[in-house]
Amino acid sequence: MKNHALVPIVIGLGFSLLASSGLAHHAFSAQFDAEKPIKLIGSVTSVEWRNPHTWFYIDVEDDSGNVSNWGWELASPNLLIRRGWTRSMMKVGDVVTVEGFHARDGSNTGNVRTVTFNATGQTVFTGSNAGRRGP
Amino acid sequence: MKVFAPAVIITALIVGPHAHSQWEKVSDKSIPRTSTGEPNLMAPAPRTTDGNPDLSGVWLPDGDPIPEGVETVEADLPLPRHMINITADLAPEEVELTPWAAELFDQRLQNRGIDSPEANCKPAGVPYLTAFVLPYKIVQTPELVIILYEQDTVFRQIFLDGREPVEDPLLRWMGYSTGEWDGDELVVDTTGLTEESWLDAMGHPHTDSLRVIERFRRRDAGHLEIETTIDDPGAYAQPITYTVTATAFADDDLLEYFCSENEKSSVHYQ
Repeated sequence: MKNHALVPIVIGLGFSLLASSGLAHHAFSAQFDAEKPIKLIGSVTSVEWRNPHTWFYIDVEDDSGNVSNWGWELASPNLLIRRGWTRSMMKVGDVVTVEGFHARDGSNTGNVRTVTFNATGQTVFTGSNAGRRGP
Repeated sequence: MKVFAPAVIITALIVGPHAHSQWEKVSDKSIPRTSTGEPNLMAPAPRTTDGNPDLSGVWLPDGDPIPEGVETVEADLPLPRHMINITADLAPEEVELTPWAAELFDQRLQNRGIDSPEANCKPAGVPYLTAFVLPYKIVQTPELVIILYEQDTVFRQIFLDGREPVEDPLLRWMGYSTGEWDGDELVVDTTGLTEESWLDAMGHPHTDSLRVIERFRRRDAGHLEIETTIDDPGAYAQPITYTVTATAFADDDLLEYFCSENEKSSVHYQ
């Protein structure tokens, strides 16, 4: 599917100097750049429900028809499953719109904030506690 | 360092408050129930046959709003504040690092966590684990308390059989813990902690002479407090004391977590 390359999304950015936070694995800023929000549309090619991070991959086609594969890092499976995700929620072939942040090293990887399933229009927020007390 | 306001991009949410559990709501028989069958978190703390409070159960450290200036991988996930910073409740003048510790701490902050043990698939260690964002399970017997931490799938033994702390112990991530009851509090003394471990996500350092005193209090059926004292004159001029709180993670249980299983992040650290 067509994708308009790296589309900056409008997102509130705050700036201050305090700390980086590691979670179950690494700190956000060790790998990703909060100044590089990206939004991509693509077809899911694989999903890895494994620690320390769940990853999924999408094929993204640009305006010239070139296809590139992008890897998206989610929270750990342990965190996601307690926040409402199920292992079968995302399937190979699903067309999704992913919003997140680009890797600092410029590779085709990103950290996910939201995933929208284009067929249904449903959006999942990868980090919200969604009213649940657990991780 | 940049932070972001994650809430502005949410358009819809299909993940509801009654999220799936891996365990399909297995009923925890150790916690009192209300008349409707819900865990009664305010009921009196259960006790063992020897009369001591029973700390057994699955516990989840309480989350706090993410402080300004902190970036996280999982946006909007409430994190225990002492996981981020063990000095979160203290005024700056109450925390005095020795020169080498201050220099190392600053270096770790500048490195954005790239050199943290967890980022390199090493354990979190004690006392960091008791404030971590993942649950842990306490199994209490009269002479041994075992804590199983989901993070890193590690265990910790606390010996209550009267043994003395080991002289010149082998340094390790969980340390060597002995404990005894002081009224309704379990007082745990831990030494032998490798200085490779960090005390929190910010990277507060310590020496291998660190002594950690933890006072475990089960306030009621659903709430646990761990008053933690960091006694390490080589790194801090005065002891640091903070209290971590946790809530019973009733009807849930631990999963496994092996960082080395599919670690793909470190090649992208910059």
